[in-house]
Amino acid sequence: MTLSPETTDVGREGIGTRKDYHALNARLNLFDDQGRIQFDQDQEAIHAFLEQQIGPRLKTFDSVLERLDWLVANDYYEAEFLDLYERDALEEIHHRAHQFGHTFGSFLGAFKFFTSYALKSFDGTEYLEEFPDRVAATALYLAQGERKFAAHLVDEMMSGRYQPATPTFLNAGKKQRGELISCFLLRVEDSMESIGRSINSALQLSKRGGGVALMLTNLREAGAPIKKIENQASGVVPVMKILEDSFSYANQLGARQGAGAVYLHAHHPDILRFLDTKRENADEKVRIKTLSLGVVVPDITFRLAKEDREMHLFSPYDVEREYGTPMSDLSITEHYDDLVRNSRIRKTTIRARDFFTTIAELQFESGYPYVLFDDTVNREHPHPGRVGMSNLCSEILQVSTPSTMDPDLTYSSVGRDVSCNLGSLNIAAAMASPDFGRTVETAVRALTSVSDQCDVGAVPSVERGNRASHAIGLGQMNLHGYLASQRIRYGSPEALDFTDAYFRLVTYHAIRASHRLAVERRETFEGFEDSDYANGARFDRYVQSSGRPATERVRALFADAGLHLPTREDWIVLRSRVMRDGMYNAYLQAIPPTSSISYINHSTASLHPVASRIEIRKEGKLGRVYFPAPHMTQDNLEYFEDAYEIGYRKIIDTYAAATPHVDQGLSLTLFFTDEATTRDINRAQIYAWRSGIKTLYYIRLRQAALNGTEVQDCVSCSL
Amino acid sequence: MTPSTDRRPLTEISVTPPSFRHDPNHRLRPINWNRIQDEKDLEVWNRLTSNFWLPEKVPLSNDLPAWQRLSEEERTLTMRVFTGLTMLDTVQATVGEISQIQDARTEHEEAVYTNIAFMQSVHARSYSSVFSTLASTPQIEESYRWAVANDLLQERAKKVLVHYYGDDPLRRKVASTLLSSLLLYAGFYLPLHFSVHATMTNTADMIRLILRDKAVHGYYSGYKFQRGLDSCTGDRREEIQAFTTGLLDDLYDLELQYSGELYEPLGLMDDVAVFVRYNANKALMNLGYPARFGAEETTVNPEILAALAPGSDENHDFFSGSGSSYVMGKAVETDDDDWDF
Repeated sequence: MTLSPETTDVGREGIGTRKDYHALNARLNLFDDQGRIQFDQDQEAIHAFLEQQIGPRLKTFDSVLERLDWLVANDYYEAEFLDLYERDALEEIHHRAHQFGHTFGSFLGAFKFFTSYALKSFDGTEYLEEFPDRVAATALYLAQGERKFAAHLVDEMMSGRYQPATPTFLNAGKKQRGELISCFLLRVEDSMESIGRSINSALQLSKRGGGVALMLTNLREAGAPIKKIENQASGVVPVMKILEDSFSYANQLGARQGAGAVYLHAHHPDILRFLDTKRENADEKVRIKTLSLGVVVPDITFRLAKEDREMHLFSPYDVEREYGTPMSDLSITEHYDDLVRNSRIRKTTIRARDFFTTIAELQFESGYPYVLFDDTVNREHPHPGRVGMSNLCSEILQVSTPSTMDPDLTYSSVGRDVSCNLGSLNIAAAMASPDFGRTVETAVRALTSVSDQCDVGAVPSVERGNRASHAIGLGQMNLHGYLASQRIRYGSPEALDFTDAYFRLVTYHAIRASHRLAVERRETFEGFEDSDYANGARFDRYVQSSGRPATERVRALFADAGLHLPTREDWIVLRSRVMRDGMYNAYLQAIPPTSSISYINHSTASLHPVASRIEIRKEGKLGRVYFPAPHMTQDNLEYFEDAYEIGYRKIIDTYAAATPHVDQGLSLTLFFTDEATTRDINRAQIYAWRSGIKTLYYIRLRQAALNGTEVQDCVSCSL
Repeated sequence: MTPSTDRRPLTEISVTPPSFRHDPNHRLRPINWNRIQDEKDLEVWNRLTSNFWLPEKVPLSNDLPAWQRLSEEERTLTMRVFTGLTMLDTVQATVGEISQIQDARTEHEEAVYTNIAFMQSVHARSYSSVFSTLASTPQIEESYRWAVANDLLQERAKKVLVHYYGDDPLRRKVASTLLSSLLLYAGFYLPLHFSVHATMTNTADMIRLILRDKAVHGYYSGYKFQRGLDSCTGDRREEIQAFTTGLLDDLYDLELQYSGELYEPLGLMDDVAVFVRYNANKALMNLGYPARFGAEETTVNPEILAALAPGSDENHDFFSGSGSSYVMGKAVETDDDDWDF
C-alpha cells in the first residue's frame, strides 16, 4: 500500500486521493506499541499539511503593500478600511503580526484555519492569507484607522489572548463576505404579518451568514380561533417547518450553513407537539431535522413538579386579550394562579413531571431542547423589561420589544430585536498577559467596533436594537486547559475559587472599558438611566465582598501572574464613575461554546471540560479529524478527565461560579453516558436550576462500544 | 381446559413456536423475559433496542452539493457500492437472520434475531433513502439492473444463501458471520473514506449508524456460534473449522474480484484489499478462530481504522448534521427525593 503523492496540480482531486496528513493525524486515536498517545504524529501531520497542501498553493508577493494593492485591485479586500491608514502603518501592522512567529498547536487548528478562514482565490486554487495576514486584516478593519489600537489588537490576537468569533475573524476586511455579527434573535408576534416578516428576516440574516433564533411563544396554539371562529389556527409546528426549509434554502445560496433555533414557553399549549417534532419516529410532515429547539421553563413548573401536580398550559391568544400584553412579556410564575382561575383563558393540563420526563427523552434521542430558566434569567438581568428567549447557542439573553406590521409587511412601529457579536479570551494566555486590563479593554473595543460597523438595514428591528444597546458578548475559553496546566482538577474547590475570581476580574475591566467608551464618545446605551448600572445595584455583589479568593492556591496564581484583583474600594470608585457617566454597552459578556475558534486558538472549549483526551471531531467541511486536548502532555494526562467522567455536578458548579458575573448567559452542555436515564437528566436540570444556572445547551451522549466489538488500540475506546 | 398439574420445568414440557415444524404435538410456551438463560441475550437486546434508528432522521439532502461535486465515475461507484450493500442486507433481512431463529439455543435468542432481521431491513431501506435523495429514477434503475446482471455480486449472495437453506445450524452461523463481518465491510470502505475526507458527511453519518448495528450483529452471531460449538465432538469441530476456512477463502477471492471491479478505477483497491483481510480476521475472531492473515497484510490505513471504531463518541457539529451518537433514552420517573428543594 502506498500513499498517493500529493499532486501540485491545483484542480479538483478525485475521492480516490489519500492524504498523508490524515493518516498521521488519525494515529492520535491509536496508541503506539507501548500504549502511549502519539502526540508527535499530530505535529508531523501539521508539517505534512503545511508543506504538501499549503506551501505549493500559497500566493507570494514581494512586499506587504504590493500584496494589499493586488488584493484590493482584484476584489479580494475592501479598499475603504485600508485607506484609513498611512501606507507605512499597513506595513508595520503586517510585520508586527508576522514577527510573532506563529505556529499551530494541532493539525485540526491548521486544517480548520486554511479550510474555513483563510482567503482563497475565487477559483479555489490558491491561498491568499496565512494566519498573521488574517489577524492583520481583522485588526486593521476593527481599528478603523487608529494605528495604535490596531497594533494592540494584533498583539492580543497573535499572542492568542483574544480571538474574535468566527463571523468576525472569517469576514473582516474581505470584499466578498457575510456579516461580522454572530447571532440574531427575533420575536414573532401573533399575526400573519409578523410571521411573514419573520420568515423574510430569517432568510435575509441567513444569507448574511448569521445564526437566527425566533421566539414562537406568542403564536396562538393549534385549534385556537381565527377571527373568533374556533378550531382554525394550526399552531407553531407548521411555522417551524417553514422556518426549517427557509434556513436550508438560504444555506444553498452558498454562505456558511444556515442555522436557526426556535424557543417556546413550557406553558404554551403546543409544547408537546413542539417537542415531538424531534422524535425518532415522528411523521415526515412534522419532523424537524435541522432546526434547534429551546424551551423556556419558569420556576412555577419546578414547583408544580415538586408537588407532583398538573401544569396548566395557557392559550397565548386568550392571554394577550386578557392582559393586553403578549404571553412572552408576562411572568407566568407571578400570574400562574390568576391565569388558572381566569375562565376566559382556555387551558389544558399535563402532569408536570411527565413534561420533564418528555424533555429528557427527547434529549436522549436528539440532544434537544435547550432549556432557558425563565425566572432566573429575568431576576439576574440588569435592565427593565423581560427576556423571553435566547439564541442558537443559548448564551445571548437580552430584552426585546414587539414590532407591529402593516399588511404589506412594512413596519407600523419598530420594536427592538437582538443581535450580538462575540469574541473570547483564552484564559491561560490572558493570565499571562503583561497588562490584563488592556487585554480586556482591547477586546471590548474590538467587539464594540463590530457593533458600530454592522449594517442590518434589512431587518429594521435588529438595526434599532443594535443602535440602542451596542450589545457585545465577551466570552472565555480554555478554562480546563489552564486548570490542568496548573495541575488543578476541574470542578475542585480551587478550580471553582479560580473561576469566581477570574470572572470578577474580567467583569471589572469590561465595565471599566465600557465606561471609558461612554466618556470618550459622550454617549451611553439607550435606557441607561433605568438600568441596574445607573442605580448601582449591579455593583452590590462586589462592594459587599472583599474580592479576595478563598484559597491560598488561587491567591498565589494571581500573585504569581502579577495580577491585581480589584478590591472593594476599586469597585466603589468604578460604581460612582459609572453612575455618573454611564456605559456605552448595555450588554458586555456572554460565554459561547467556542468550537471552531478554540481549535484555531488551541484552547479547550469555553468553560467545559474536554469531551475526550483525544477528541473525534466531525464536521461538514472537515470530515473526521482527531484533536488532542490543548496543554496535555504524557505527564499531566490525569488532569484531563473528560466531561463524561467528571459528571454533571462539577460542570454545573463551575458554571454556577461564573454565572453571577456574566450579565448575559453561558452555553452549558451536559454530558451523559448511555447508562444514564431520563431521571439522571432531570436531576441534572433540577440541580442546575437550583444552582442559579440561566440556560442549558445540548445534552451530549456517549455510548461505549459493546465489549468485544471495539477496534484494538483505539484511544477513544479505552475510557 | 387442561389443568396445569405438571410441575416439571416449563422448558422441559414445552417448546417455543419455531419447534412446531419438528413436532406439532408439543406444547407451546410464550417467551418469558423474566427468566433469562443467557445474559448475553438481554445485553444484546438492550443494546439493539436503544440503538434503534430510522434513515429519516439523517438530513441526507445536505449532501446534495457534495454529490454534485463528484465526478460521473465516482457517482457510479457510489451507487453500485450501495446497491451491492442493499443486496447483502436484503439477503440478511429476508433469509439470513430469519434462518437463525430455528437454531436458537434460547427463546430470547429467537427474539434477538427478529430484531436483527428488522434492522437489516432498515439498513437495506436506508440505502434507498440515499438514492432517492441524490439520484434520479433512471440512475437508480440502472444501478439495480447492474446488480441483477453482475455475476460476481450474484455469486457472493448465493454462496451464502446455500448454507442458510442447508441443514447444518453451525454452517448457517458461519455463513452469516462471514457475510456481515467480511463481505459488507468492503462496501463500507467507501463511506468511511468519505467521512475522513469531508464529503457526503451525512451519508457517512448514516453508515456509522449502520456500522454501530453491524458490529453488534456480527459479534452476537459469532458468540452464539461458539456456544453451539461448545457441545460438539472433536471431529465435528474439525469439520466446521475446515468448512469455515474453505468458505472464507471462497468469499475472500470473490470479494477481491467484486471489489476490484468497483474500486480499481479509482486506485483504491490496494487499500480495500487490506481492509477486507482485516475484516476477514475480525470475522474469524468473532467465530473464535485464529487470524487467517498476518499483521503486515492487514495494516489498515490509520484514518480508516480510527474511523471504524463503533463507539459513538464523535463530537459532531450540530449545525451540519444530526450526528451518530444519539440513542433511545431509558425513561425513568423522577420521585419525590429528586424534587427535594
